[in-house]
Amino acid sequence: MGLELYLPLVAAGPDFSTLPQQLTNGLILGSIYALIALGYTMVYGVLRLINFAHGEVYMLGAYTALLVSWAFGFAPTSPGDPKASVLVLAVMLLASMVVCAAVGAVIEYLAYRPMRKQSRISALITAIGVSLLLQYGGALFLPASPPPTISGKVDPFASIATLTLSPPPADLVDAEEAARAELAARETSLEQTMEAEGVRNQFDLSPEGKEVLQAKQAAEREVNRTAGAVETGSITIKLPQNRLVILGTVVGLMAALWFLVMKTKTGRSMRAASHDFESASLMGINVNRVVSITFMIGSALAGAGAMMNATFTGTSLTTFYGLLPGVKAFVAAVLGGIGNIPGAVLGGLIMGLAEELSVWAGFSGYKDAVAFIILIVVLLFRPGGLLGSSKVEKV
Amino acid sequence: MKFWTVRLLSVAAAFAFAFAMQGLGSVIGDDYAYRVINVSGIFITLAVSLNLINGITGQFSIGHAAFYQVGAYVTGYMTLKMFDPGGMHPTLWLIMMMFVGAVAAGLLGLVVGLPSLRLRGDYLAIVTLGFNEIIRIISTNIPEVGGAAGFNIKPKIVEPWLIWMLAVICIALSRNLLKNAHGLTFWAVREDEVASSAMGVNNTRIKVVAFVVGSALAGAAGVLYGHFEGFLDPKVFGMQQSFIILTMVVLGGTGSITGSALAAVFLTVLPEYLRDLKDPTGNELALNGGGIIGVFAASILMIWAVKRMKTMFPVKGRNRSLAEVGAHLVPWALVPLLNAVLASTPLAANTYRVSELRMVFFALVLILVMQLRPSGVFGHHEFSWNWLKSLFSRFRKEQTA
Repeated sequence: MGLELYLPLVAAGPDFSTLPQQLTNGLILGSIYALIALGYTMVYGVLRLINFAHGEVYMLGAYTALLVSWAFGFAPTSPGDPKASVLVLAVMLLASMVVCAAVGAVIEYLAYRPMRKQSRISALITAIGVSLLLQYGGALFLPASPPPTISGKVDPFASIATLTLSPPPADLVDAEEAARAELAARETSLEQTMEAEGVRNQFDLSPEGKEVLQAKQAAEREVNRTAGAVETGSITIKLPQNRLVILGTVVGLMAALWFLVMKTKTGRSMRAASHDFESASLMGINVNRVVSITFMIGSALAGAGAMMNATFTGTSLTTFYGLLPGVKAFVAAVLGGIGNIPGAVLGGLIMGLAEELSVWAGFSGYKDAVAFIILIVVLLFRPGGLLGSSKVEKV
Repeated sequence: MKFWTVRLLSVAAAFAFAFAMQGLGSVIGDDYAYRVINVSGIFITLAVSLNLINGITGQFSIGHAAFYQVGAYVTGYMTLKMFDPGGMHPTLWLIMMMFVGAVAAGLLGLVVGLPSLRLRGDYLAIVTLGFNEIIRIISTNIPEVGGAAGFNIKPKIVEPWLIWMLAVICIALSRNLLKNAHGLTFWAVREDEVASSAMGVNNTRIKVVAFVVGSALAGAAGVLYGHFEGFLDPKVFGMQQSFIILTMVVLGGTGSITGSALAAVFLTVLPEYLRDLKDPTGNELALNGGGIIGVFAASILMIWAVKRMKTMFPVKGRNRSLAEVGAHLVPWALVPLLNAVLASTPLAANTYRVSELRMVFFALVLILVMQLRPSGVFGHHEFSWNWLKSLFSRFRKEQTA
């Protein structure tokens, strides 16, 4: 116990050459968290309700994407070899968003609306109930065992761009090239030996031939070693094209959200309701409509995030798929200041970066705890979150 | 002398009750059922101790499983490493461990509570939830206690009477607190912090006391759970467990000790009861797709009907009470009805055993109770004979207003 537990970690040390890669991954993960966090924060802003079922809406979004992809013939059992196209992806995205928006509105209408006048803790328990209902009820109707994955064939953006930030030192590159040349030479000599001895299997070689084989294997190890040295000596970022698509879509959706909230009449009534629900209703704003729209928008964003995460990372789906992202996005929303839209985006990015950085630093076992540690530290110093205002309750 | 007579009699009654529950095991004979009964006793302690924090003092804590886990893990590890069967009687050791677990959980409660109790409402909730997850994740990263796989506590020390003794102590503590002047300050903090501090109540002190006492009791419950089961799995102590304990408190009626205790028993027994529910012919009970639609339709109809009865019968009295009872019960006729009518349609292609549906029913019960009785089944009330009488007096014919 104690010191020796941490020694290997210190001895290995964090590898700075992979830092830019991890930061990029964190940014993309964070943008998905931000998308989910927006739903939490908007609902909280208007209703002061922690919508614990939001993670389950996210789960339903992922399942919608799965079922749509199956409908297009990407099911593991379906015959033929369908071609990946942007159109299919667009339909999946749209379907996820529409289904999630509908589910969000229905949940609000059936479960939350009757609770609006009740104490907040009762509303919270209702939210927990809805979340359990979707998790376990969904398992009855949705394909959950074995956990399905969205086929990778659906993704037309499979190519990987490599971004070189700092090239490897020339001597390492030279060493690698020399090792490769050596390997090529050894391979030809092995082939010649095999031909000369007239054997087709390496195991049938004579003792002299085995020595040639061992020399070739040594050359292979040398190539691996030098290639590894080149990799750690250089700083590159591998950026699959689909990650760029995620980032682009998230930015696009956020811009649309900004336009909707800041520039339209609906957005203005949403802001009014979030500022003061009672007064807004007295000023002729149809608050029921505003709440419905808020739920629909938040859920649609979660659906978009779910579709992209499930499609492009190929994780397998269960009805508990939304549990962890849901909690993390909620933490992100609180971190940024719940009820505050830019805060949710900021919180989401911080969460994604923190998670990837903790993996990078060697604490992968604690990556789910890091989120909460950051949250607690921030709340102790800024009780209203990073961008939130902590209002003193008036008497 | 009357004072001491009552006290002594109460203690004797508590012991008699605890040992009666111990003896129940041989009466029932069914090990599994007896296990469920004892686990529900542990949950009584958990729910009533959370009620002390959440219901009585009004501090929104949703990370109660963390304290439960700390009690279980600390003492489980100590038993594994330090217990010497020749040196000490197991029961005595378990009682000692209960104190150790309570102190450990109480200390953690102090560490968590002191800084975070200055946060309010939802922010306190999320911080306690965060601590819950942090404790669980730390426990899965310590190889000494088995990491994510959990670990066995050897030897198991099964003393059901201690479970029930702890439950009684927990209930008595809460009840006595509410009955004396000191307890009024807890209510005051719950009702209005500004007003209570204006009246000279030290809010922070009250909150921390409630938090530490509640955590310590949960820790002691954890000790009993660990030694009772003989195996600890970190997955048992996640936030879902905290949610379930919170649900017990809210479902029973926030602030009501009776409500928390009864809801703890109800919610522990319900899923287990549904696990092997049989129909009259002895087959496992199952619903087809039509029956499931019926369940949801009946739920929605019931909520609508119960609310409708309030407007249809504006005057309280027998008619309204009977109508309300009817509105609660009649819609459920839809379940067998749709189950039978839709049996030949493609909707009914799949059948679902009730044991598969038990968590769905659990969730549905939660939602329905919250919709129909938002302040919990007992509200702020405690069980009393007068309360029971008033319940039945609703069915009397003449009633004013």
